[in-house]
Amino acid sequence: VSRDRWSAAGLALLAIVYLVIARRYPLDTLATPGPGVMPLIAGVALFATAISIFIVAITARPARDAGGLSETGAAPTRPIESSRALSSPLVLAAALVLYAALLPRLGFIASSFALVVLGSRLMGARGWWRPVALALGVTVAAHLLFARWLGVPLP
Amino acid sequence: VSELFVALTPANLLACFVGTVLGTIVGVLPGLGPAGAMALVLPLTIKLGPTAGLIMLAGIYYGAMYGGSTTSILVNVPGEAASVVTTIDGYRLARKGRAGAALAIAAIASFFAGTVSVIALQVAAPLVARAALAFGPAEYFAFALLGLLLLANLTGGSRAKSLAMVLVGVMLSTVGMDPLGGTVRFTFDLAGAQGGLSFVAVTTGLFGVAEVLASMTEPAAATPVARVKFRELYPSREELRRSFPPMLRGTVLGFLVGLVPGPAATIASFVSYGIEKKVSRYRRELGTGAIEGVAGPEAANNAAAGGGMIPLLSLGLPFTPSTAVLLSGMLLMGVTPGPFLLRDHPGVFWGVIGSFYVGNVMLLLLNLPLVGVFARVATIPPRYLMPGVLVLCAVAAYSDNNNVFDVWVMIAAGIAGWAMRALDFSPAPLVLGLVLGPVLERSLLQALTIARGEIGGLWASGPAAVMLAAALGALVAPGLTALLRRTATQRA
Repeated sequence: VSRDRWSAAGLALLAIVYLVIARRYPLDTLATPGPGVMPLIAGVALFATAISIFIVAITARPARDAGGLSETGAAPTRPIESSRALSSPLVLAAALVLYAALLPRLGFIASSFALVVLGSRLMGARGWWRPVALALGVTVAAHLLFARWLGVPLP
Repeated sequence: VSELFVALTPANLLACFVGTVLGTIVGVLPGLGPAGAMALVLPLTIKLGPTAGLIMLAGIYYGAMYGGSTTSILVNVPGEAASVVTTIDGYRLARKGRAGAALAIAAIASFFAGTVSVIALQVAAPLVARAALAFGPAEYFAFALLGLLLLANLTGGSRAKSLAMVLVGVMLSTVGMDPLGGTVRFTFDLAGAQGGLSFVAVTTGLFGVAEVLASMTEPAAATPVARVKFRELYPSREELRRSFPPMLRGTVLGFLVGLVPGPAATIASFVSYGIEKKVSRYRRELGTGAIEGVAGPEAANNAAAGGGMIPLLSLGLPFTPSTAVLLSGMLLMGVTPGPFLLRDHPGVFWGVIGSFYVGNVMLLLLNLPLVGVFARVATIPPRYLMPGVLVLCAVAAYSDNNNVFDVWVMIAAGIAGWAMRALDFSPAPLVLGLVLGPVLERSLLQALTIARGEIGGLWASGPAAVMLAAALGALVAPGLTALLRRTATQRA
């Protein structure tokens, strides 16, 4: 639950930054409301919600956190155990940032090829044969389907 | 109603076929859900034109509901959220050697509920649309607000966290041109942000990239899949007879739950299981491998998928991530869902509804014989599958505006979504806040203008007042009951 305190603080900070930027946009009058009205409402509401998450997080007793069915059904979150479990998604996240940066320079085929090879290696594929074959297949298929057939002007 | 047969042209049948097959595969694969998959194929469907494109998207939506149950029964891994309950009795039936029967009953229940809910949809949607013609900005504001608050209550997990995600979504929706005056907001002088953040980019990031990142920290499940022979697919007469009442209850319940904003299909399946535990004649057997535990929830989640189409088709307001993707698909194809859809694009409206009938039949025909093939798909190791998903996400995000900026948005959303998952925040409310944010803003400002600045104008009409009161209740009631319960336990 201590994680909740931090995420609540983060959300509150987000709301404050958002509200500060939103001050640039005029509220005007109630009869002719301006572009600043909705951001003001949304920002204040998020701030209030963040405060309530924070209060719940510091007053909650540990016993109440146990159990409970995750109804959203999204993969049940497990605490991240070791730094090793965290490192490979972080490497992939960095690779994705690099991918977006290289996309306009190297073009779609070359950068996607590199991304797939790296991605499948990070996820535990061994050797180079299969990742390279996979990357070749995926990028060429995507290029044929989207760039050739559908006419998407891929970089 | 002859337009219903629009769905039967060869091109549309093919679109329906491709959609249902893709949907089944997506349903079978854990991780990638229907909303992410639909966002992935958006560029493809736009090329197909409105009717065929929407038929394909709808096929994915329905197909995922079918496919999700296959792995629940065979491998004890739910393909998506709405078939989590099916694992309880479905997997135990498989262990007893009745996997074939459980799969067949799941397919039959899905088919039955899907078809009944489409009939109800066909009758109800035009009626709701006609009623909605009387809706002004104040009513739309009240309805969208009520929907978002109910959604935050029903998403599961922490209510405040869901509400926070709705609000972050609304905040993200204010990026770009404002809906009335044309003031450019929160773009930080980035040209790509002027038209607002791409919905496709945010969705592929939150549901695609984030899933890929999350899958890397999860241990790979290497469960052998039992082979199911075609002969074993026949349920016994006893099993068929016992399945019918829960199927019927699940259908009615699911359709009604589908009308309510929130992850309706998931909730409907849980509620159906709960009801079977109370009323079924065989309730003692539930949990040990009873066919009722498959028939009821599987009917309920498919019926809910049909019910969820009503607010989308007749009001233009989506309340699930999947229908939100359908909405953005429609808008990209120049079709505005809402009260005028039936009048302006009858071919699209009836074509999509007709495709639901066809899709249900196709899914039944596909799923019974090919169940083993689809179950195999679930065993493809993620290391070969996920990198391809990443590339598809990038293509989908890029092609929304042919802009690398959207790829950046997708990657940011993906990394944020991964962090959100780790911190127990659900991405679905954020996506709906993003979609409904502009509706909220436009209707609020218009309603205020119409009322000449009187805030009372927001609740001047009966329907608006009722919906706003309900919204207030949705906001306050859960907190109040929690408070009462806490004081009660302290006294005890």
